[in-house]
This record gives sequence, C-alpha cells and structure tokens, in this order.
Amino acid sequence: MTRTFWLFVGPFFLGLLVFVYVPIGWSVLLSFFDARNTVTPTTFMGFDNYADMLTDGPFLESLGTFSVFAAFVVPLTFVLALALALLVNGIRFMQAFFRSVFFLPFACSYVVASLVWKLSLFNGVRYGLANTVLGWFGADPIAWTVTPPWYWLVLVTLRLWLQLGFYMILFIAGLQRIPHHLYEAAWIDGARPWQALRHITLPQLRTTSVAVLLLLLIAAYQAFDEFYNVLGSGPFGRPPLVYLYYTSLGSGGQDFGHGSAGAVILSLLIAGVTLVQGRVFTR
Amino acid sequence: MKALRYTALTVVAFFFLLPFYLVLRNGLALESEITAADWTWWPSEIHWENFAELFNDPAVPLLRSMLNSLVVAVLQTVGQLLLCSLAGYGLARIPYRFSNVVLYLVVATLMIPAAVTFVPSFVVVSTLGWISDLRGLVIPGLFSGFTAFLFRQYFLTFPRELEEAARIDGLGHWGTFWRIVVPNSRGFFAALGVISFVTSWNQFLWPLVIAQDQDSWTVQVALSTFLTAQSLNLHELFLAAAVSITPLVVVFVALQRFLVRGVTETGIKG
Amino acid sequence: MISRRRLLTATGALALLSACGSNTGRGSSEGLRQWYHAYGEPGVQQAVERYAQAYGKVPVDVQWNPGDYDSKLATALLSGTGPDVFEATTQVSAVRAGQLVPLDDVIASARDDFTASILAGHTVDGQLYGIPQAVDMQMLFYRKSMLAAAGVSPPSTVDELVDAARRLTAGGVKGLFAGNDAGVKVLAGPALWSAGLDYVTPEHQVGFDDPVAAQAIGKLRSLQESGSLLLGAVKDWSEPDAFTQGLVAMQWTGLWTVPAVQKALGDDFGVLPWPRLNDAGKPSVPVGAYGAMVNAKSAKVAEAKEFVRWLWVEKTEYQADFNQSYGFHIPPRKSLASSADKLRTGAAADAVKFVQDNARSSNPPDWTSAMRTAFEDAVARVVRDGADASSELRGAVSKVRDELKRLYG
Repeated sequence: MTRTFWLFVGPFFLGLLVFVYVPIGWSVLLSFFDARNTVTPTTFMGFDNYADMLTDGPFLESLGTFSVFAAFVVPLTFVLALALALLVNGIRFMQAFFRSVFFLPFACSYVVASLVWKLSLFNGVRYGLANTVLGWFGADPIAWTVTPPWYWLVLVTLRLWLQLGFYMILFIAGLQRIPHHLYEAAWIDGARPWQALRHITLPQLRTTSVAVLLLLLIAAYQAFDEFYNVLGSGPFGRPPLVYLYYTSLGSGGQDFGHGSAGAVILSLLIAGVTLVQGRVFTR
Repeated sequence: MKALRYTALTVVAFFFLLPFYLVLRNGLALESEITAADWTWWPSEIHWENFAELFNDPAVPLLRSMLNSLVVAVLQTVGQLLLCSLAGYGLARIPYRFSNVVLYLVVATLMIPAAVTFVPSFVVVSTLGWISDLRGLVIPGLFSGFTAFLFRQYFLTFPRELEEAARIDGLGHWGTFWRIVVPNSRGFFAALGVISFVTSWNQFLWPLVIAQDQDSWTVQVALSTFLTAQSLNLHELFLAAAVSITPLVVVFVALQRFLVRGVTETGIKG
Repeated sequence: MISRRRLLTATGALALLSACGSNTGRGSSEGLRQWYHAYGEPGVQQAVERYAQAYGKVPVDVQWNPGDYDSKLATALLSGTGPDVFEATTQVSAVRAGQLVPLDDVIASARDDFTASILAGHTVDGQLYGIPQAVDMQMLFYRKSMLAAAGVSPPSTVDELVDAARRLTAGGVKGLFAGNDAGVKVLAGPALWSAGLDYVTPEHQVGFDDPVAAQAIGKLRSLQESGSLLLGAVKDWSEPDAFTQGLVAMQWTGLWTVPAVQKALGDDFGVLPWPRLNDAGKPSVPVGAYGAMVNAKSAKVAEAKEFVRWLWVEKTEYQADFNQSYGFHIPPRKSLASSADKLRTGAAADAVKFVQDNARSSNPPDWTSAMRTAFEDAVARVVRDGADASSELRGAVSKVRDELKRLYG
C-alpha cells in the first residue's frame, strides 16, 4: 500500500516540496541576509530587513494601497455581482445571452484590459473615450492614469469589468441551490419581493457570500497586472506585489533580502486572514 | 417591472461589450482616425491590411509569443490534471499510515497564494538556470495544492460501488483509477482543465519574471512590453490584443458549459 | 504490470516536458549573444544586426529589448542566463557584485581617442567596464513660431521657463512635454544642476543634501500645478511625436530626435539647455553613453571581449554609421566626432556646443539604480502628489547616504 500511495502521490508531492516548500524556506533564509545582486549571500543581518520593511515608508504604503483598493473593489464587486446574478437569474428570455455577455470578460487578460483602459477608454489626451465624453459637456481633458485620485477610477472599473462575471456565476450557482418551496411558502404568506430577498435569498446565500468575500479579498491582495501595466513604475498606487517586484527584480532592485522579508510578511498576513476566515467559515 | 429589468441588463451589457468593440475599432482603423480630435464610432473604411502590417512587423513576435503561450497553457493544463488527479485520488482512497501528514502538508500550501511567493520561486528557478526557459514557465505551476485538494474532495464523493466492482474484476488501484474513475469523471476533468487553460493563458506576473528573453515571451508579456514601452502604433497594439484574445473567445464559446462548472467548482469549494 | 508501464508513460511525459525546455531559442551554443535596448529610431535594429552578421569569427545573435531594459538585464545577469555582450551604463553596484569584466585591455591604445569624461562614466576604481558606443544628450526643443505668436522669448532661467510654459498653454496646446510622469525621470537631474547641486559629489557623498534642493524640485511642481504639462501622451518623452504633432510648444527630448523633428518642422524649432535656477547654478544638459560590456558569468568571456574590441574599437566605420545614420548621437571618439558633418549645422551644432559647455553626467557610476529610485520616488511624490519637498528629499538623502556608505564604506 505504501508503494501504491507514493506511486499516486509521490510525483506531485515531490514537486510540491521543490517548488513550494523549498522556495519558502530559502526565502526565510534570505530574509535574514544582505542579498543585493545575489541569491547566495554571506552577510547575516538578523531582523534588520524585517525592521526596514516594517518601518520604511514604501512597504507599509503598499499595504495601505491594497487597503484602499480592497475597500472599493471588494464591496462594489460583491454588491454588483449579486445584483447581476439576481437580474439574470430572474429572467427567462435571453438569459443565456446576458449571462454570456457578463461572463465574457473572464476570457480577457488583465494585460489586454489594461491596454484598453489606458490607451483608449481613459487615455489622457483628447481622443480618449472618457475625455471625448467630457468634451461633449465642455470639460477639459483629464490625464486619468497619471493623476491622483483619478487613477483609482481607472483601476477599479477595470477590475470590476474583468471579475464581475466570475462572481456573478458563483452567485447564480448559489441562487439555484435555494429550494424553491421556500419562496412558494413566502408567496403564500404574502411576502413582497424585497422581503423574500431579505429573509430567504440572502440568508440562503450565506455560504456563497462568505466564499465570495474571501476570494475577492485574496484576489485584491495579489493585485499586480493592472497596476503594473496601467500605472508604470512611479511611486503611486503600488500594491504589495508591485512593490516587491520593483524591490527584487525591477531596475532599482535586485535586493532579495528585503524582497524575501516582504514576501514572508505578506505570506504570514494572508495565512492569518485565511485561518481566521476558515474559523468563521466552518462555524 | 420586466421592462425595467431588461433595460437595466441592456445598459450593463452595453458597457461590458464596449471594451471589445474598442479593441476592434482601434485595431482596424487608421492611426489618424484613432487619434483624431473628433470621435468616430467606426472607421470610415475597415483596414484589413493592418493584419498584414502586424504579422509582417519583425519587431513584434506575435505568433511566436502566442505559440509559447499555447505550449505553456497546454502543458500546464495536462500536467496539472495528471499530477493533481493522481495525488487527489491517492489521498482520497489509498490507505497509508502517514497519509494525513501528507494531506496536511498539501492543505497548508492553500493558505499562501502562489503569486505572493513569486520572489522566492524566482530565486529557486534562477538557481536551476530556468530563466527564459520553457521549464521555468511551466513546471513550477504544475504543483497546485489547491487543484490536488479539489480532486481529493471530488474523489471522496465518487461512488464506491463502481470501484469495488472493478476490484472484483481484478484491477488494482492503478487500473481502477484509469479504467473506471477517470472515464467516469470526464466532466470534472474538463471543468478544471478549461479553468486551468484560461488561467494559464492569461497569467502575467510569473511569465513577466521568468520570460526575460524575447524568444520565450508569452503573449501577455509581449503585449505588456509594447504597452509599457509605448513603442508601437495604437492600431497595431490593439490588433495584437484582438488576436491574442481570439483563442480564448473560441474556448469560451465552445466550452462555456465546462467553464461555468469550473468556476463554481474552484470558486465555492475553495 | 500495467501499472508499471503506465508509470513509465507518466514519467516519460515529464521527462519530455523538461527536455523541450532547453529549446527556447537561447541555444546557438557556439555563438555569442548580444543585447541592445530598443532604440526608437528606425533602422538601428537592422544596422546592429548587420554589424553582427559581418563578424566572421563566431556567430553573434542580436536581441532587441523593448520595455524595461534595465531590470530585464539586471535579472538576466543575476541568474546567469544573461547575454555575453550587452550595452548598459556602468554602476558601481554591478561591479561590486562581480557582474562585469574589466575592458582596459580591450580599449588598449585607442583609449586616447575617446573623450575622457565619457570614459570616466564607465570607470570604477580605476578600471574600465564599458566601451562607449554613442554619446546621448537631452535638451529642450521649442517651436519658434509658437513662441513668437505668444510673444514669449526662449527662457534663460527656470522661472522664465515656468512662465513660458504657462503662457504657451492655450487652445488644446500645452506648454511643455517632459514625459508622462510630469518630468520626474528626466528633469529631476537638471533641476538639481540648475541650483548648483548634483546627485553625488566627487567624494561619493550625497549631492543634494541642501535646502535649495527643495526649491529646485518645487519648480517642477509649479510646472505640473500650473497645468502647462502634457500628460498621458501615446509616445513618451524620448520620441518626438508630441512635439512634431503640435500637441506642445516645447518638449524635453534628445539629440537623437533631431532628424525626425527637422523632417516634420523644417527650421521652425530651436534647442536650449535646461536653464539655471539661481546664480549658483548653471544651464545643463544631461549626457550619457551606453557602453558595450561583457558579462562576467559568460562562458565565453574571451570571445566576447574580442567581439567588443572588433565592433567598438576596431570598426570605426560602424561606429560612425551607428552614431550618424539614424538618430543623431555624438561619437565618443574624437577622431569621429570631428568628422561628423551632420553635427556641424543647425540644432545639432548647438547641441554639440551645449555638451562642451554644459554637460552633466546623467548616469555617474556611483549613482546606482537603487539611489535613483529612492530619489525619483521622492521627486514624484512632490511633483505629482504635492508632498512636502523638504521632508521627501530628507528621506531620499538618508537612503542615498546609506547606499553610498554600503558601497564605499
């Protein structure tokens, strides 16, 4: 049985050790060294790298950037995805069409979306679509992607477009699992639609909702693609992964000591959130 | 009430389709039409010759990068399904003294998304000499604890009677898995496979880190490079974007059923 | 038995997977690999490929790298998968990390023919790490007709420049374009020089640890705040498009764009150095030169050095072609510079004079990219976000000081 077990699990498990556990271990090691321009450092630094990351502005700022981003994107996606799911689930005619349309952006990459948002929709010059619309009302063009706070509008709408469909599908699946007799009983009792929503739909969607919230939060935590492609390398709007990218691999970087310390801190944070959420989830 | 619903849906649908329209409009227009002061909804003439310009431009390795993306996505999908389904089955069905320890080690990796540890992974892959190399692009992504865990959960619900019948016919675990379990789980494999393919095609951070050399670029890295370097004309860039999403739109239309199932499987059970 | 065969198939597939990895075009095991960043001017890529083809001793595979060349190169050098020969600016951090090969024996007796200040930019601790390929300089381009129409004369101080940019902004035309980041990357250096400051002093100390620095950077903020900067253009500052398309009256770009600007605007443009801010400062133009370098981790250091010697020391006709036939660059060799006819007239001649009188090194070896990032981030927060200049610069000073201490003790 031992042999059979390892025949099945062995190849995968070996890979998991080499490509997941070894990197994490190595990075914990690197995080205690001065590792600039090298991955086999010799100068031991103790907790200095951690101290730098936790006192130094940019890393904490990147966590702040994530918080702002998540504060917009998580609730907005949640509410709008649920609304779309309710709308789509409540119709018969053309239901498949609308569901497909809202889900279609899922086939698009963040890079392509960034391209459209940066160079066409929110282009800073007069021929960008948003500026064209502003022009119709006589307003001056706005350099959307380079001016705070406007770039938040660009980034948040971009992510909404890309991920709403995905979460709408999750909510639709959740809605379809709600036993129909619950609603029938409510209608007989003369409940209004919003009462049904409040007392049946939302409570029944509790599991889905918790899962969606967790997924949204983790996805926002890992935000990289659109920030990198839309904003470029300036010091604004750098969520944690973008900051780590520039620290470790960007032109100003090759600093794997600080980069690794940052990766360890981020991992601990997300593991903590997952554990807490797991508690709530299983309760 | 119903009219209101459809009006709302139509308005939202308009905004959802708008970006796709912009990609096509800009891709098939003249540069001067895109940058004109007055907005035109559709180019006065469709410039199909933009395709020839794009594919003949030696500075834009579009086909090469799409081929790279395809190879990476196919290998990653097949490899992940193979390795993770075997592991999932082993963990679900084969009794072994330390199987719980192994399971904990797999589940523990679920707490940390792979993207968060891209720096450490880069360090390992660069030490192996796999930078700008297909191995570096594909192999680290094969060992998804999440997919293995999903397979385990799925195989736990697989009807035992079927497996027992196979055992009576003299098949071992290996034979049972390939002759009975896999053929009866095609839908599940397809669902996870489609998701894995789409994710792999669209992934960006890891290829950006690994594919330094132009010959190893995936299509996302190629597009991003020209987007951030701003070294291409707009119509060429947008047409390249249009070409790059075509394979996925085909997958989307043809396999939407599995895609939807994949989303619900990976989304909720996670 | 079935199980074993299946297992073999499975492992076979994995082996195949790892085997195809080696075939991503990095091969050509007997040849050399050479990297360039992507020059914007048409024809350069074909030219460098032509040079490489003409080299008889070993095949040379040229790679063109659009995008973030510096970080791509740094990553490749670190992981040992980098090119054998590449162009870059010399940084003391790369020398300390043992990534570069000294090239003193490559330049050998030709050393005296190279402009000394340009060689100094590639010298660390007395050793030369890059053979200068082409000298690039940046300056301010202005549209004569637009200035005349607005009654603005070419600015000779920073305040006049800020004022001119504001007055030239009207009717869909902006006063100045200096990059989509509001000039942070390209104007931060000139801003320091305009006040008599610098990135680092010759003694490897921080060069902008001075209250005047905040005032100098504050001028960039005034430019941004007055709304006279073009932002969000399709092509960035290094391409002349915004200027030639009439979107701006002035643009900060480089000598290399002169042919394209001449073609589009004829004589209707002039050039200036970045003006001085106060009496301590002087007008300045940033000057830098990419050098051809050899990767210390290359398996073919000797062949790579020989190729660099052939291309950038021996083949002077290629150097002339590279510097003059596409965009304009100043040849780093005196013998070529003196015979460069295209630099004798018009804006190009002005540029050559600026380089003689006002040159400041845009990439000194002791100004590493880590320091540059710290400084530019601070400037960006001031210019784009309106952060307090003094405190932002204090933060940058302390980071740069730490870094200098780490490198020079």
